[in-house]
Amino acid sequence: MTVERVAKQDRDDAWHSGRDPGHLGDGRLQPCSPCLVPLFLALYLCSAPLMAQELIVNGSLPDVALTRNEALLYFTGRLQLWPNGMPVKVFVLPDSNLLHREFVKSVLGLYPYQLRRVWDRQVYSGTGQAPILVGSEQEMIERVASTAGGIGYAHSEPDDGRVRPLEVH
Amino acid sequence: MLYRALLIGVLINWPFLSVRADAGDGDGTGYWDNLQIHGFASLAGIKTSDNRFFGDSPHTSFDFSELGLNVSLRPAPTLLISAQLLARRAGEMYDGEPALDYALLDYCAAATPDYRLGLRVGRIKNPLGLYNETRDVPFTRPGIFMPQVVYFDQVRNLLLSSDGLVLYGDAYTGLGSLSLSVLHGRAVVDENVEWAYLNGDFPGDVESRSDSWIWSLWFATAGDRLRLGFSGASLSVDFDPRTSAPPILGAGSFDILYWIASIQYDAEDWTLSAELMREPIDWHDFGALYPDRRLTAEGYYLQAAYRVSPGIELMMRYEEGFADRADRSGKAMSRVGGGQGPAHMGYSKIWTAGLRWDLDRHWMLRLEYQRHSGTFTLSSRENPYLPGQVKDWNLVAAQIAFRF
Repeated sequence: MTVERVAKQDRDDAWHSGRDPGHLGDGRLQPCSPCLVPLFLALYLCSAPLMAQELIVNGSLPDVALTRNEALLYFTGRLQLWPNGMPVKVFVLPDSNLLHREFVKSVLGLYPYQLRRVWDRQVYSGTGQAPILVGSEQEMIERVASTAGGIGYAHSEPDDGRVRPLEVH
Repeated sequence: MLYRALLIGVLINWPFLSVRADAGDGDGTGYWDNLQIHGFASLAGIKTSDNRFFGDSPHTSFDFSELGLNVSLRPAPTLLISAQLLARRAGEMYDGEPALDYALLDYCAAATPDYRLGLRVGRIKNPLGLYNETRDVPFTRPGIFMPQVVYFDQVRNLLLSSDGLVLYGDAYTGLGSLSLSVLHGRAVVDENVEWAYLNGDFPGDVESRSDSWIWSLWFATAGDRLRLGFSGASLSVDFDPRTSAPPILGAGSFDILYWIASIQYDAEDWTLSAELMREPIDWHDFGALYPDRRLTAEGYYLQAAYRVSPGIELMMRYEEGFADRADRSGKAMSRVGGGQGPAHMGYSKIWTAGLRWDLDRHWMLRLEYQRHSGTFTLSSRENPYLPGQVKDWNLVAAQIAFRF
Protein backbone atom coordinates (compact mmCIF):
# COMPACT_ATOMS: atom_id res chain seq x y z
CA MET A 1 0.00 0.00 0.00
CA THR A 2 2.80 2.35 0.87
CA VAL A 3 4.55 1.51 -2.37
CA GLU A 4 1.47 2.44 -4.37
CA ARG A 5 0.98 5.67 -2.56
CA VAL A 6 4.60 6.64 -3.05
CA ALA A 7 4.31 5.84 -6.73
CA LYS A 8 1.39 8.24 -7.04
CA GLN A 9 3.30 11.22 -5.76
CA ASP A 10 5.54 11.41 -8.80
CA ARG A 11 4.64 15.01 -9.50
CA ASP A 12 5.80 16.13 -6.12
CA ASP A 13 8.63 18.59 -6.39
CA ALA A 14 9.03 19.52 -2.76
CA TRP A 15 12.49 18.46 -1.70
CA HIS A 16 11.98 18.83 1.98
CA SER A 17 9.18 16.29 2.04
CA GLY A 18 10.98 13.78 -0.16
CA ARG A 19 11.85 11.29 2.55
CA ASP A 20 8.61 11.06 4.45
CA PRO A 21 5.85 9.18 2.65
CA GLY A 22 3.41 10.08 5.43
CA HIS A 23 3.21 13.63 4.08
CA LEU A 24 3.06 12.82 0.43
CA GLY A 25 -0.08 10.83 -0.25
CA ASP A 26 -3.58 11.97 -1.04
CA GLY A 27 -5.07 14.80 0.94
CA ARG A 28 -7.11 12.58 3.24
CA LEU A 29 -4.04 11.56 5.17
CA GLN A 30 -3.08 15.12 6.02
CA PRO A 31 -2.38 16.54 8.45
CA CYS A 32 -0.52 13.59 9.86
CA SER A 33 -1.61 12.98 13.40
CA PRO A 34 1.25 12.26 15.80
CA CYS A 35 0.02 8.73 16.54
CA LEU A 36 0.15 7.82 12.85
CA VAL A 37 3.76 8.89 12.40
CA PRO A 38 5.29 5.72 13.90
CA LEU A 39 2.90 3.61 11.83
CA PHE A 40 3.88 5.29 8.58
CA LEU A 41 7.51 5.17 9.54
CA ALA A 42 7.23 1.42 10.17
CA LEU A 43 5.40 0.90 6.87
CA TYR A 44 7.98 2.96 5.07
CA LEU A 45 10.92 1.11 6.58
CA CYS A 46 9.35 -2.27 5.84
CA SER A 47 8.39 -1.39 2.31
CA ALA A 48 11.65 0.28 1.27
CA PRO A 49 13.56 -2.94 0.58
CA LEU A 50 10.59 -4.28 -1.39
CA MET A 51 10.48 -1.30 -3.72
CA ALA A 52 12.25 -2.57 -6.80
CA GLN A 53 13.51 -0.49 -9.69
CA GLU A 54 13.76 -1.67 -13.26
CA LEU A 55 15.81 -0.06 -15.97
CA ILE A 56 13.58 0.11 -19.04
CA VAL A 57 14.34 0.78 -22.70
CA ASN A 58 12.37 1.12 -25.88
CA GLY A 59 11.28 -2.25 -27.23
CA SER A 60 13.19 -1.74 -30.50
CA LEU A 61 16.47 -2.18 -28.61
CA PRO A 62 17.94 -5.69 -28.27
CA ASP A 63 17.47 -7.61 -25.03
CA VAL A 64 21.07 -7.44 -23.80
CA ALA A 65 21.97 -6.97 -20.14
CA LEU A 66 23.92 -3.81 -19.24
CA THR A 67 26.82 -3.43 -16.87
CA ARG A 68 26.43 -0.78 -14.15
CA ASN A 69 29.17 1.22 -15.90
CA GLU A 70 27.23 1.19 -19.19
CA ALA A 71 23.99 2.23 -17.47
CA LEU A 72 25.85 5.08 -15.80
CA LEU A 73 27.43 6.21 -19.08
CA TYR A 74 23.99 6.33 -20.75
CA PHE A 75 22.41 8.27 -17.88
CA THR A 76 25.29 10.75 -17.68
CA GLY A 77 25.24 11.41 -21.42
CA ARG A 78 28.72 10.06 -22.07
CA LEU A 79 27.34 7.36 -24.38
CA GLN A 80 25.08 8.97 -26.95
CA LEU A 81 24.58 5.94 -29.20
CA TRP A 82 23.27 2.44 -28.58
CA PRO A 83 25.39 -0.41 -29.98
CA ASN A 84 22.89 -0.67 -32.88
CA GLY A 85 23.56 2.98 -33.82
CA MET A 86 20.33 4.46 -32.45
CA PRO A 87 20.61 7.79 -30.52
CA VAL A 88 20.16 7.46 -26.74
CA LYS A 89 17.21 9.42 -25.25
CA VAL A 90 17.31 9.57 -21.45
CA PHE A 91 14.11 10.16 -19.44
CA VAL A 92 14.17 10.96 -15.74
CA LEU A 93 11.80 11.91 -12.92
CA PRO A 94 12.47 14.96 -10.70
CA ASP A 95 15.41 14.69 -8.28
CA SER A 96 13.04 14.65 -5.31
CA ASN A 97 11.08 11.66 -6.59
CA LEU A 98 11.57 8.56 -4.45
CA LEU A 99 11.73 6.15 -7.41
CA HIS A 100 14.40 8.34 -9.01
CA ARG A 101 16.43 8.46 -5.81
CA GLU A 102 16.26 4.69 -5.27
CA PHE A 103 17.06 3.91 -8.91
CA VAL A 104 20.09 6.22 -8.96
CA LYS A 105 21.40 4.76 -5.71
CA SER A 106 20.84 1.05 -6.20
CA VAL A 107 21.04 0.64 -9.97
CA LEU A 108 23.52 3.35 -11.02
CA GLY A 109 25.52 3.28 -7.77
CA LEU A 110 25.55 7.08 -7.39
CA TYR A 111 23.94 9.39 -4.87
CA PRO A 112 21.26 11.55 -6.52
CA TYR A 113 23.14 14.78 -5.75
CA GLN A 114 26.19 13.41 -7.60
CA LEU A 115 24.15 12.75 -10.73
CA ARG A 116 22.66 16.25 -10.50
CA ARG A 117 26.19 17.65 -10.21
CA VAL A 118 27.29 15.84 -13.39
CA TRP A 119 24.27 17.11 -15.35
CA ASP A 120 24.61 20.68 -14.03
CA ARG A 121 28.26 20.82 -14.94
CA GLN A 122 27.46 19.69 -18.49
CA VAL A 123 24.48 21.99 -18.96
CA TYR A 124 26.19 25.13 -17.63
CA SER A 125 29.60 24.60 -19.24
CA GLY A 126 28.14 23.72 -22.64
CA THR A 127 29.66 20.24 -22.68
CA GLY A 128 26.42 18.27 -22.53
CA GLN A 129 22.65 18.39 -22.27
CA ALA A 130 20.17 17.64 -19.53
CA PRO A 131 18.09 14.45 -19.69
CA ILE A 132 14.39 14.80 -20.57
CA LEU A 133 12.31 15.42 -17.45
CA VAL A 134 8.96 13.63 -17.13
CA GLY A 135 6.25 14.22 -14.54
CA SER A 136 5.21 10.72 -13.53
CA GLU A 137 6.09 7.06 -13.82
CA GLN A 138 3.19 6.59 -16.25
CA GLU A 139 4.55 9.36 -18.47
CA MET A 140 8.03 7.84 -18.19
CA ILE A 141 6.77 4.47 -19.48
CA GLU A 142 4.76 6.13 -22.25
CA ARG A 143 7.71 8.26 -23.42
CA VAL A 144 10.18 5.37 -23.35
CA ALA A 145 7.64 3.24 -25.23
CA SER A 146 7.12 5.85 -27.94
CA THR A 147 10.75 7.02 -28.34
CA ALA A 148 13.20 4.99 -30.39
CA GLY A 149 16.38 4.65 -28.30
CA GLY A 150 14.53 5.70 -25.12
CA ILE A 151 15.84 4.69 -21.69
CA GLY A 152 14.31 5.25 -18.25
CA TYR A 153 13.17 3.35 -15.20
CA ALA A 154 10.06 2.03 -13.45
CA HIS A 155 9.05 0.32 -10.22
CA SER A 156 8.40 -2.97 -11.96
CA GLU A 157 8.32 -4.44 -15.43
CA PRO A 158 5.67 -2.34 -17.20
CA ASP A 159 2.69 -4.06 -18.74
CA ASP A 160 3.49 -2.57 -22.12
CA GLY A 161 4.91 -4.60 -24.98
CA ARG A 162 6.69 -1.56 -26.44
CA VAL A 163 8.95 -1.32 -23.38
CA ARG A 164 11.69 -3.77 -22.49
CA PRO A 165 13.21 -4.16 -19.02
CA LEU A 166 17.00 -4.63 -19.08
CA GLU A 167 18.99 -6.38 -16.43
CA VAL A 168 21.86 -4.35 -14.91
CA HIS A 169 24.68 -6.27 -13.29
CA MET B 1 36.75 33.90 -34.79
CA LEU B 2 34.82 30.69 -34.58
CA TYR B 3 32.96 31.55 -31.39
CA ARG B 4 31.64 34.74 -32.95
CA ALA B 5 30.45 32.82 -35.96
CA LEU B 6 28.74 30.29 -33.71
CA LEU B 7 27.01 32.95 -31.69
CA ILE B 8 25.87 34.85 -34.75
CA GLY B 9 24.58 31.60 -36.18
CA VAL B 10 22.61 30.87 -33.05
CA LEU B 11 21.23 34.40 -32.83
CA ILE B 12 20.15 34.53 -36.45
CA ASN B 13 18.43 31.18 -36.15
CA TRP B 14 16.87 31.92 -32.78
CA PRO B 15 13.22 32.48 -33.80
CA PHE B 16 13.46 29.64 -36.26
CA LEU B 17 14.90 27.31 -33.63
CA SER B 18 12.24 28.22 -31.09
CA VAL B 19 9.41 27.60 -33.49
CA ARG B 20 10.80 24.29 -34.58
CA ALA B 21 11.41 23.21 -30.99
CA ASP B 22 7.82 24.00 -30.09
CA ALA B 23 6.57 22.11 -33.10
CA GLY B 24 8.43 18.95 -32.10
CA ASP B 25 6.10 16.03 -31.56
CA GLY B 26 8.13 14.78 -28.63
CA ASP B 27 9.19 11.47 -30.07
CA GLY B 28 12.80 12.60 -29.78
CA THR B 29 13.76 11.73 -33.32
CA GLY B 30 13.46 15.14 -35.05
CA TYR B 31 16.49 17.19 -35.91
CA TRP B 32 15.45 20.14 -33.71
CA ASP B 33 13.98 18.19 -30.82
CA ASN B 34 17.39 18.25 -29.20
CA LEU B 35 17.37 22.01 -28.70
CA GLN B 36 17.63 22.94 -25.02
CA ILE B 37 17.46 26.32 -23.37
CA HIS B 38 18.50 26.80 -19.75
CA GLY B 39 19.20 29.80 -17.58
CA PHE B 40 19.73 31.15 -14.10
CA ALA B 41 19.47 34.38 -12.16
CA SER B 42 20.60 35.40 -8.70
CA LEU B 43 20.58 38.40 -6.41
CA ALA B 44 22.56 38.80 -3.19
CA GLY B 45 22.65 41.20 -0.29
CA ILE B 46 26.04 41.65 1.37
CA LYS B 47 26.96 43.40 4.61
CA THR B 48 30.53 43.69 5.87
CA SER B 49 31.84 45.23 9.09
CA ASP B 50 34.65 46.96 7.12
CA ASN B 51 36.17 46.91 3.62
CA ARG B 52 34.27 46.84 0.36
CA PHE B 53 33.44 43.41 -1.03
CA PHE B 54 31.20 43.18 -4.11
CA GLY B 55 30.00 46.77 -3.76
CA ASP B 56 29.50 49.19 -0.90
CA SER B 57 29.11 46.33 1.55
CA PRO B 58 29.76 48.34 4.78
CA HIS B 59 26.42 50.00 4.00
CA THR B 60 24.87 46.77 2.66
CA SER B 61 25.43 46.07 -1.01
CA PHE B 62 22.98 44.62 -3.48
CA ASP B 63 25.56 44.86 -6.24
CA PHE B 64 26.08 41.16 -6.76
CA SER B 65 23.76 39.65 -9.32
CA GLU B 66 24.08 37.08 -12.06
CA LEU B 67 22.02 36.33 -15.13
CA GLY B 68 22.84 33.52 -17.52
CA LEU B 69 21.09 32.09 -20.56
CA ASN B 70 22.32 29.17 -22.60
CA VAL B 71 21.27 27.23 -25.62
CA SER B 72 22.47 23.86 -26.86
CA LEU B 73 21.70 21.73 -29.86
CA ARG B 74 22.73 18.21 -30.74
CA PRO B 75 22.37 17.98 -34.55
CA ALA B 76 23.87 14.48 -34.44
CA PRO B 77 24.66 12.15 -31.51
CA THR B 78 28.36 12.93 -31.83
CA LEU B 79 27.98 16.72 -32.23
CA LEU B 80 26.98 19.37 -29.72
CA ILE B 81 26.74 23.11 -30.31
CA SER B 82 26.29 25.34 -27.27
CA ALA B 83 26.62 28.94 -26.13
CA GLN B 84 25.92 30.93 -22.98
CA LEU B 85 25.51 34.64 -22.35
CA LEU B 86 26.38 35.87 -18.87
CA ALA B 87 25.57 39.25 -17.34
CA ARG B 88 27.30 39.62 -14.02
CA ARG B 89 27.32 42.56 -11.71
CA ALA B 90 29.90 42.42 -8.93
CA GLY B 91 30.57 45.73 -7.19
CA GLU B 92 33.24 47.83 -8.89
CA MET B 93 34.66 44.75 -10.62
CA TYR B 94 31.88 43.88 -13.09
CA ASP B 95 29.11 46.16 -14.30
CA GLY B 96 26.60 43.61 -15.54
CA GLU B 97 27.26 44.03 -19.24
CA PRO B 98 26.39 40.75 -21.01
CA ALA B 99 29.39 38.79 -22.20
CA LEU B 100 29.80 35.61 -24.18
CA ASP B 101 30.60 33.09 -21.48
CA TYR B 102 31.18 30.14 -23.77
CA ALA B 103 30.36 29.18 -27.35
CA LEU B 104 31.64 25.90 -28.60
CA LEU B 105 31.35 22.98 -30.90
CA ASP B 106 31.92 19.58 -29.32
CA TYR B 107 32.72 16.58 -31.46
CA CYS B 108 32.88 13.21 -29.75
CA ALA B 109 35.07 11.13 -32.06
CA ALA B 110 34.70 7.86 -30.16
CA ALA B 111 32.58 6.68 -27.24
CA THR B 112 32.49 3.10 -25.99
CA PRO B 113 31.89 1.55 -22.55
CA ASP B 114 35.69 1.54 -22.16
CA TYR B 115 36.74 5.00 -23.32
CA ARG B 116 35.72 8.31 -24.89
CA LEU B 117 37.69 10.72 -27.06
CA GLY B 118 36.68 14.08 -28.44
CA LEU B 119 37.50 17.70 -29.10
CA ARG B 120 35.93 21.09 -28.53
CA VAL B 121 36.61 24.35 -30.35
CA GLY B 122 35.48 27.88 -29.57
CA ARG B 123 35.31 29.74 -26.29
CA ILE B 124 35.68 27.11 -23.60
CA LYS B 125 35.39 27.34 -19.81
CA ASN B 126 38.73 26.38 -18.29
CA PRO B 127 38.45 23.02 -16.53
CA LEU B 128 40.36 24.13 -13.42
CA GLY B 129 39.77 22.61 -9.99
CA LEU B 130 36.44 21.36 -8.69
CA TYR B 131 34.43 24.46 -9.58
CA ASN B 132 35.93 26.76 -12.21
CA GLU B 133 33.88 25.60 -15.20
CA THR B 134 30.58 26.54 -13.57
CA ARG B 135 31.79 29.07 -10.99
CA ASP B 136 29.22 31.69 -12.03
CA VAL B 137 26.22 29.40 -11.62
CA PRO B 138 24.92 29.87 -8.06
CA PHE B 139 23.65 26.28 -7.91
CA THR B 140 26.98 24.64 -8.64
CA ARG B 141 29.10 26.74 -6.26
CA PRO B 142 29.82 25.53 -2.74
CA GLY B 143 28.57 28.84 -1.27
CA ILE B 144 27.44 32.35 -2.20
CA PHE B 145 31.11 33.11 -2.85
CA MET B 146 33.78 30.83 -4.23
CA PRO B 147 36.68 29.94 -1.93
CA GLN B 148 38.50 33.21 -2.72
CA VAL B 149 42.03 32.07 -1.97
CA VAL B 150 41.87 29.51 -4.80
CA TYR B 151 39.28 31.02 -7.17
CA PHE B 152 40.07 34.75 -6.98
CA ASP B 153 37.07 36.88 -7.87
CA GLN B 154 39.27 39.94 -8.32
CA VAL B 155 40.79 38.33 -11.44
CA ARG B 156 38.32 35.65 -12.35
CA ASN B 157 38.50 36.41 -16.06
CA LEU B 158 42.15 35.53 -16.47
CA LEU B 159 41.38 31.94 -15.57
CA LEU B 160 37.71 31.76 -16.53
CA SER B 161 37.74 30.78 -20.18
CA SER B 162 39.92 30.50 -23.26
CA ASP B 163 39.43 30.87 -26.99
CA GLY B 164 40.98 27.78 -28.46
CA LEU B 165 40.79 24.04 -28.81
CA VAL B 166 40.56 21.28 -26.22
CA LEU B 167 41.18 17.58 -26.62
CA TYR B 168 39.49 15.36 -24.04
CA GLY B 169 39.58 11.70 -23.21
CA ASP B 170 38.05 9.39 -20.58
CA ALA B 171 38.99 5.82 -19.71
CA TYR B 172 36.62 3.66 -17.66
CA THR B 173 38.27 0.79 -15.80
CA GLY B 174 37.29 -1.56 -13.02
CA LEU B 175 39.15 0.66 -10.56
CA GLY B 176 37.43 3.87 -11.62
CA SER B 177 37.58 6.45 -14.34
CA LEU B 178 40.43 8.58 -15.59
CA SER B 179 39.81 11.84 -17.49
CA LEU B 180 42.27 14.13 -19.22
CA SER B 181 41.68 17.44 -21.03
CA VAL B 182 44.34 19.54 -22.71
CA LEU B 183 43.49 23.01 -23.96
CA HIS B 184 45.52 25.32 -26.15
CA GLY B 185 44.45 28.88 -26.80
CA ARG B 186 44.22 32.45 -25.60
CA ALA B 187 43.02 33.45 -22.12
CA VAL B 188 40.21 35.98 -22.03
CA VAL B 189 41.43 39.01 -20.01
CA ASP B 190 39.98 42.35 -18.88
CA GLU B 191 41.05 45.39 -16.89
CA ASN B 192 40.58 43.61 -13.55
CA VAL B 193 43.66 41.63 -14.53
CA GLU B 194 45.57 44.91 -14.81
CA TRP B 195 44.34 46.04 -11.39
CA ALA B 196 45.25 42.80 -9.71
CA TYR B 197 48.62 42.07 -11.28
CA LEU B 198 49.87 45.61 -11.93
CA ASN B 199 48.13 47.33 -8.99
CA GLY B 200 46.31 49.97 -10.98
CA ASP B 201 44.71 51.00 -14.23
CA PHE B 202 47.58 52.38 -16.30
CA PRO B 203 47.29 54.04 -19.70
CA GLY B 204 47.50 51.12 -22.08
CA ASP B 205 46.08 47.65 -22.52
CA VAL B 206 46.77 44.16 -21.29
CA GLU B 207 46.60 41.35 -23.79
CA SER B 208 47.09 37.66 -23.27
CA ARG B 209 49.21 35.69 -25.70
CA SER B 210 47.56 33.04 -27.79
CA ASP B 211 49.85 30.31 -26.56
CA SER B 212 48.43 29.41 -23.18
CA TRP B 213 48.09 25.78 -22.10
CA ILE B 214 45.52 24.46 -19.70
CA TRP B 215 45.22 20.91 -18.54
CA SER B 216 43.13 18.87 -16.14
CA LEU B 217 43.58 15.31 -15.00
CA TRP B 218 41.01 13.53 -12.83
CA PHE B 219 40.72 10.10 -11.29
CA ALA B 220 37.45 8.96 -9.72
CA THR B 221 36.81 5.70 -7.93
CA ALA B 222 33.71 3.62 -8.72
CA GLY B 223 30.55 5.55 -7.88
CA ASP B 224 32.58 8.78 -7.85
CA ARG B 225 33.11 8.35 -4.10
CA LEU B 226 36.64 9.73 -4.15
CA ARG B 227 37.85 12.14 -6.79
CA LEU B 228 41.41 13.34 -7.22
CA GLY B 229 42.32 16.10 -9.61
CA PHE B 230 45.34 17.99 -10.83
CA SER B 231 44.72 20.91 -13.13
CA GLY B 232 46.54 24.04 -14.17
CA ALA B 233 47.18 26.85 -16.60
CA SER B 234 50.33 28.29 -18.06
CA LEU B 235 49.91 31.69 -19.67
CA SER B 236 51.56 35.02 -20.43
CA VAL B 237 50.08 38.51 -20.49
CA ASP B 238 51.67 41.49 -22.26
CA PHE B 239 51.21 45.13 -21.34
CA ASP B 240 51.12 47.69 -24.15
CA PRO B 241 51.54 51.28 -22.81
CA ARG B 242 49.93 52.90 -25.93
CA THR B 243 51.11 56.40 -25.09
CA SER B 244 53.37 58.91 -26.81
CA ALA B 245 54.64 60.34 -23.52
CA PRO B 246 57.29 58.35 -21.64
CA PRO B 247 55.16 55.65 -20.03
CA ILE B 248 55.05 55.14 -16.25
CA LEU B 249 54.92 51.45 -16.89
CA GLY B 250 57.02 49.92 -19.69
CA ALA B 251 55.93 47.34 -22.23
CA GLY B 252 56.49 44.41 -19.90
CA SER B 253 54.90 41.01 -19.45
CA PHE B 254 54.01 38.63 -16.70
CA ASP B 255 54.03 34.86 -16.89
CA ILE B 256 51.78 32.74 -14.71
CA LEU B 257 51.70 29.07 -13.88
CA TYR B 258 48.55 28.41 -11.90
CA TRP B 259 47.78 24.93 -10.64
CA ILE B 260 45.27 23.29 -8.31
CA ALA B 261 45.44 19.90 -6.62
CA SER B 262 41.92 18.78 -5.66
CA ILE B 263 40.37 16.05 -3.56
CA GLN B 264 36.71 15.40 -2.90
CA TYR B 265 35.03 12.61 -0.97
CA ASP B 266 31.28 11.97 -1.29
CA ALA B 267 29.19 10.11 1.26
CA GLU B 268 25.41 9.96 1.19
CA ASP B 269 24.89 12.85 3.60
CA TRP B 270 28.17 14.72 3.47
CA THR B 271 30.94 15.79 1.12
CA LEU B 272 34.48 16.73 2.08
CA SER B 273 36.51 18.85 -0.33
CA ALA B 274 40.01 20.28 -0.18
CA GLU B 275 42.10 22.10 -2.76
CA LEU B 276 45.59 23.51 -2.86
CA MET B 277 46.50 26.23 -5.35
CA ARG B 278 49.89 27.67 -6.19
CA GLU B 279 50.57 30.41 -8.67
CA PRO B 280 54.14 31.35 -9.52
CA ILE B 281 54.13 34.80 -11.15
CA ASP B 282 57.08 36.33 -13.00
CA TRP B 283 56.97 40.07 -13.88
CA HIS B 284 59.59 41.36 -16.28
CA ASP B 285 60.53 44.34 -18.50
CA PHE B 286 58.14 46.87 -16.96
CA GLY B 287 60.95 49.46 -16.61
CA ALA B 288 62.91 51.08 -13.80
CA LEU B 289 59.92 51.99 -11.64
CA TYR B 290 58.67 48.44 -11.59
CA PRO B 291 61.67 46.14 -11.22
CA ASP B 292 61.52 42.51 -12.33
CA ARG B 293 60.27 40.23 -9.63
CA ARG B 294 59.07 36.74 -9.07
CA LEU B 295 56.90 35.23 -6.37
CA THR B 296 54.47 32.40 -5.73
CA ALA B 297 50.94 33.03 -4.49
CA GLU B 298 49.32 30.21 -2.54
CA GLY B 299 45.89 29.26 -1.27
CA TYR B 300 44.19 26.22 0.20
CA TYR B 301 40.94 25.30 1.87
CA LEU B 302 39.13 22.48 3.59
CA GLN B 303 35.36 22.36 3.22
CA ALA B 304 32.65 20.12 4.64
CA ALA B 305 29.07 20.02 3.42
CA TYR B 306 26.36 18.15 5.32
CA ARG B 307 22.96 17.43 3.78
CA VAL B 308 20.41 17.57 6.58
CA SER B 309 17.71 16.54 4.08
CA PRO B 310 17.74 16.39 0.27
CA GLY B 311 16.96 20.12 0.13
CA ILE B 312 18.96 21.54 3.03
CA GLU B 313 22.74 21.68 3.22
CA LEU B 314 25.08 23.10 5.85
CA MET B 315 28.62 24.10 4.89
CA MET B 316 31.78 24.93 6.85
CA ARG B 317 35.06 26.01 5.29
CA TYR B 318 38.45 27.22 6.42
CA GLU B 319 40.82 28.77 3.92
CA GLU B 320 44.18 30.50 3.92
CA GLY B 321 45.80 32.42 1.10
CA PHE B 322 49.05 34.32 0.67
CA ALA B 323 50.12 36.84 -1.99
CA ASP B 324 53.65 35.46 -1.59
CA ARG B 325 54.11 32.13 0.12
CA ALA B 326 57.67 33.15 1.09
CA ASP B 327 56.26 36.19 2.93
CA ARG B 328 53.28 34.79 4.83
CA SER B 329 53.05 37.74 7.22
CA GLY B 330 53.02 40.21 4.30
CA LYS B 331 55.64 42.33 6.08
CA ALA B 332 58.31 42.14 3.39
CA MET B 333 55.80 43.16 0.71
CA SER B 334 54.61 46.06 2.85
CA ARG B 335 58.24 47.23 3.31
CA VAL B 336 58.92 47.11 -0.43
CA GLY B 337 55.83 49.23 -1.00
CA GLY B 338 57.16 51.86 1.43
CA GLY B 339 54.62 50.85 4.06
CA GLN B 340 51.76 52.29 2.04
CA GLY B 341 50.02 48.93 1.86
CA PRO B 342 49.60 47.28 5.27
CA ALA B 343 51.15 43.85 5.90
CA HIS B 344 47.74 42.18 6.21
CA MET B 345 47.17 42.76 2.47
CA GLY B 346 49.56 39.86 2.03
CA TYR B 347 47.27 37.18 3.45
CA SER B 348 43.68 36.08 4.09
CA LYS B 349 42.50 33.55 6.65
CA ILE B 350 38.78 32.95 6.39
CA TRP B 351 36.19 30.92 8.28
CA THR B 352 32.90 30.41 6.47
CA ALA B 353 29.59 28.94 7.63
CA GLY B 354 26.81 28.57 5.09
CA LEU B 355 23.25 27.32 4.72
CA ARG B 356 21.70 26.24 1.43
CA TRP B 357 18.00 25.60 1.00
CA ASP B 358 16.65 24.29 -2.31
CA LEU B 359 12.95 25.15 -2.13
CA ASP B 360 12.23 23.16 -5.28
CA ARG B 361 14.10 22.43 -8.46
CA HIS B 362 13.97 26.08 -9.56
CA TRP B 363 14.56 28.15 -6.43
CA MET B 364 17.39 28.26 -3.94
CA LEU B 365 18.12 30.41 -0.88
CA ARG B 366 21.51 30.80 0.75
CA LEU B 367 22.87 32.43 3.88
CA GLU B 368 26.55 32.84 4.62
CA TYR B 369 28.76 34.19 7.37
CA GLN B 370 32.51 34.79 6.96
CA ARG B 371 35.15 35.86 9.44
CA HIS B 372 38.24 37.28 7.77
CA SER B 373 41.73 38.02 9.00
CA GLY B 374 43.68 39.83 6.29
CA THR B 375 42.67 41.46 3.01
CA PHE B 376 44.55 39.50 0.33
CA THR B 377 41.30 38.44 -1.33
CA LEU B 378 39.92 42.00 -1.59
CA SER B 379 39.99 43.83 -4.90
CA SER B 380 42.28 46.88 -4.86
CA ARG B 381 39.91 48.31 -7.44
CA GLU B 382 37.16 48.24 -4.80
CA ASN B 383 39.50 49.25 -1.97
CA PRO B 384 42.02 51.61 -3.64
CA TYR B 385 43.00 53.40 -0.41
CA LEU B 386 45.34 50.69 0.79
CA PRO B 387 46.08 51.99 4.35
CA GLY B 388 42.32 52.00 4.93
CA GLN B 389 41.99 48.23 4.53
CA VAL B 390 40.93 46.78 7.89
CA LYS B 391 42.63 43.55 8.97
CA ASP B 392 39.83 41.80 10.89
CA TRP B 393 36.41 41.98 9.32
CA ASN B 394 33.16 40.04 9.06
CA LEU B 395 30.71 39.39 6.28
CA VAL B 396 27.08 38.30 6.22
CA ALA B 397 25.35 37.58 2.92
CA ALA B 398 22.04 36.23 1.67
CA GLN B 399 21.29 35.11 -1.86
CA ILE B 400 18.24 34.02 -3.80
CA ALA B 401 18.68 32.15 -7.06
CA PHE B 402 16.45 30.77 -9.78
CA ARG B 403 17.15 28.38 -12.63
CA PHE B 404 15.31 26.58 -15.37
